[in-house]
Amino acid sequence: MKHFKKTKTESKKHQKVLNELIMVLGGEKVLSAIEDRICYSYDGTKQKALPDIVVRPGCTSDVSNTLKIANKYEIPIYARGAGTGLTGGAVPLMGGIVLDLKSMNRIIEICPEDFVATVEPGVVTKHFQDEIAKFDLFYPPDPSSAAFSTIGGNVAECAGGITGLKYGVTRDYILALEIVLSDGSVINTGRKTLRSVTGYDLTRLFIGSEGTLGVFTRITVKLIPKPKKIETLAAYFSDRDDAIDAADLIIDNNILPRTLEFMDQMTISAVRGYGEAPIGEDVKALLLIDIDGTEESISHELPVVENACKEKKAFKTKVAETPRERESIWAVRRSISPALYNIAPHKINEDICVPRSKIKEILQKVDQINEHQTIYIANFGHIGDGNIHVNIMYNDDPGQAALAESIVNKIMREVVAVGGTISGEHGIGNKKSQFMELEISPKELAIMKRFKGFFDPKGIMNPGKMFI
Amino acid sequence: MSTDWKTEVDKCSKCGKCHTVCPVFLETGDESMVSRGRISLAEALRDKQIVYTDKLRDYVYSCKKCMRCRTVCPSGVDYEVIISALLSGVAENMGIPLLPRIIFRYILPRRILFDLMLKVSSKIQWLIPMKRRGQMRHLPLLFMGKRWIPTLAKKTALQKFRKTKKLKNPKMRVGLFTGCLINYIYVDIAEAVVDVLNRMNIEVVVPQGQLCCGTPSSTMGDFKSTKKLADVNKEVFESQKLDAIVTACATCTKAIKMDYLRTLGPSWQSMSDKIYDISEFIDKYCGDEYETKPIDEKVTYHDPCHLLWVRGISDEPRNVLKKSSDFVEMDQAGACCGGGGIFTIIHYDLTLKMLERKVASIERSGADTVATNCPGCVMQIADGFAGKNSKIKTTHSIQILQKALVDSGINKEK
Ligand SMILES: Cc1cc2nc3c(=O)[nH]c(=O)nc-3n(C[C@H](O)[C@H](O)[C@H](O)COP(=O)(O)OP(=O)(O)OC[C@H]3O[C@@H](n4cnc5c(N)ncnc54)[C@H](O)[C@@H]3O)c2cc1C
Ligand code: SF4
Ligand code: SF4
Repeated sequence: MKHFKKTKTESKKHQKVLNELIMVLGGEKVLSAIEDRICYSYDGTKQKALPDIVVRPGCTSDVSNTLKIANKYEIPIYARGAGTGLTGGAVPLMGGIVLDLKSMNRIIEICPEDFVATVEPGVVTKHFQDEIAKFDLFYPPDPSSAAFSTIGGNVAECAGGITGLKYGVTRDYILALEIVLSDGSVINTGRKTLRSVTGYDLTRLFIGSEGTLGVFTRITVKLIPKPKKIETLAAYFSDRDDAIDAADLIIDNNILPRTLEFMDQMTISAVRGYGEAPIGEDVKALLLIDIDGTEESISHELPVVENACKEKKAFKTKVAETPRERESIWAVRRSISPALYNIAPHKINEDICVPRSKIKEILQKVDQINEHQTIYIANFGHIGDGNIHVNIMYNDDPGQAALAESIVNKIMREVVAVGGTISGEHGIGNKKSQFMELEISPKELAIMKRFKGFFDPKGIMNPGKMFI
Repeated sequence: MSTDWKTEVDKCSKCGKCHTVCPVFLETGDESMVSRGRISLAEALRDKQIVYTDKLRDYVYSCKKCMRCRTVCPSGVDYEVIISALLSGVAENMGIPLLPRIIFRYILPRRILFDLMLKVSSKIQWLIPMKRRGQMRHLPLLFMGKRWIPTLAKKTALQKFRKTKKLKNPKMRVGLFTGCLINYIYVDIAEAVVDVLNRMNIEVVVPQGQLCCGTPSSTMGDFKSTKKLADVNKEVFESQKLDAIVTACATCTKAIKMDYLRTLGPSWQSMSDKIYDISEFIDKYCGDEYETKPIDEKVTYHDPCHLLWVRGISDEPRNVLKKSSDFVEMDQAGACCGGGGIFTIIHYDLTLKMLERKVASIERSGADTVATNCPGCVMQIADGFAGKNSKIKTTHSIQILQKALVDSGINKEK
């Protein structure tokens, strides 16, 4: 574990910070025992670094007071939602204060008549979705981690999910933010209206800012009516390219499925044992498709989708007939992440995104890069959006980790060359900051850094992330 | 203690999915009170970054050992191995206080002494000034003095069923593992088990030498004492010719069917395979045979953690109840009632919150009676209704079946 040796003056400073925090927030909300610090040292990347203090604010003014103190003593501060991030966003790389926002978890208001709702950042996404479903409303952004990640974390990473093709990602649903800046001042961006073009769009600047610009304390989101019905279809292919063509053809037919998920042969081999109905050896690619809407729209779209798959040589298609069948199809999809470890014990999970027309090309490139290598690559993901999860699986043998890294490096270059992006939804954190320069030119990088310097002149907000 | 846990912790991918089910985390949101946090603490212990402290012990004791997290973990972490190692580490490094040590090591293995101690303590508890709240679920933890020992039955279940009622041509011969709560307090549950099974033409033996299952000592990390108890129970049950062993206590089932596999090793496997929760047994072996006249009451079912999450048993008790009553489902039937182990002693406030929520779910269901398959949950939920002036009754599901069961021809002969 990263553990910083402190000089005497530094220790003194930390003691002062601790005392001040306790004075202002009360002892309950400020933790400094080693046991507590360990529990807030990691995120979903398994990286660890020990914070000096953990603060658990209950309201905006707690956050503001904490930032004022951090700013005064120039101590690093890291916002943390549920710590499920996959790029190291919430890991306190340089020590300092972890700001655990889990206790700010109230749904402030739901306005069914306006189709908007306001929440605190620590609300768990799925919990929120369940609550608004009671009003027949729908908040689409649904990362696979929706049941345990927070809306604050989702906004900070601009999380995507499997409904992205039809409904967009987190960014498309955020109307307004209350943000505490590095000096403790509180600003409000956006309006609680479905449209607003007054001034620059600061909201968008903060979405996906990964805790490097400010801390969200209130989030106002847009809601849409909940689709009446969902149908699920699985299509089996004996050739990867056929599956990709089928996905294209479905969209060419003017249909945007609620979800359009792709799994390649390596992925399928990992999950083979998981579902209720085992997947045959002859299946080399799989499409999992959800269509939602009304009874009529679905009865029109479902045959079109099924025919498109057949036209592109799907040798079998299966429409789920019961909720249980539907669940069992999706259970296979959800099992991918852990099941990949059946291939090898270590994984580097990249979430590249390319223009849809380049998917075949990039997958071929990945194959070429990995030719004759001892490493396995499993590809799956949101094919409709071109967002493919490229999972590089390797074992403990010497040299494997380095080989995996070099493969990632080559893949990233190819992705950028075909006009793609190095991260579709997981963010940059410290894990991908080394690739920023591949995609972002020096000029734009400089602009970004100036924004950073403007909002966080002392560089205390989540240092070590986004930029190297 | 084995060192498996040292590698087991590495399997955790830190995904956070355990957040979704952990009853303690859902209440507190504290990362130190969910498996992901405790696994990180175990890693730090392994890597000698921390030592055992009071705080660490509190975090370890905050786990209800309900195993929900293990059920959902996508990385297949066997959390039980890790929490057991932490508990025994606490015991080894911080010691087990003298009184529990004496009880676990010298009194529990001797039935007469334990009978005596309980009797005396339940009488004198009124004399010792001490703040007590609620009733004690794990009787062997009576030294904690923070709970009331409930009113003891005049005759324990073991005494009552000293003699086995012989059946003419029994379909099967099973042994009943009573567990402390049923033996001393809820003797009527044992009676219901014996009565129902007898009427289904199954002979029931209540082996006299059986002891506490060992959960209370494991809870405090004293696995040595658990092993002693397990050795005796093994001998007692193996010496009988039994087709199966049944229990009516979810926690005892977990202990003797699952935990003993670790305590006693693979030699226990063949016995373990024969151990059933009472509803599970009836559903499996008598499911299509028995006839009932459903009682005229709305009955709902609460899933004990140790049955639902450790064993995945949920349909079986419901099948039995559906045949015996006007069954209604409650929302969140699988949510914890809050009872259990040392947790209720250090986190009484959380226990009460969970209980309140459970009581509300039961009330919403519109049931007249809530049934469950664990005497500990019966006690906890009944406590929740006590003082509320509620008409809702709390009972074991076997007692509902007992009332509804229609005697078949075979039984009438007797
Ligand atoms: C099993 C699994 C599946 C996943 N699936 C997906 C998926 O399908 N799509 C996807 O996009 N991601 C996915 N993720 C990644 C992760 O869940 C998302 O990035 C999520 O948005 C992180 O939320 P969190 O609450 O855990 O945030 P954390 O991990 O705690 O923090 C993430 C970042 O947000 C910042 N932050 C958190 N809260 C605030 C706040 N209130 N104000 C300012 N900054 C804040 C942190 O500083 C950090 O930089 C998955 C992760 C796992 C473990
Ligand atoms: S669900 Fe399993 S892998 Fe994920 S954090 Fe919890 S214990 Fe670790
Ligand atoms: S066993 Fe139960 S209480 Fe303990 S961490 Fe797992 S889910 Fe939480």
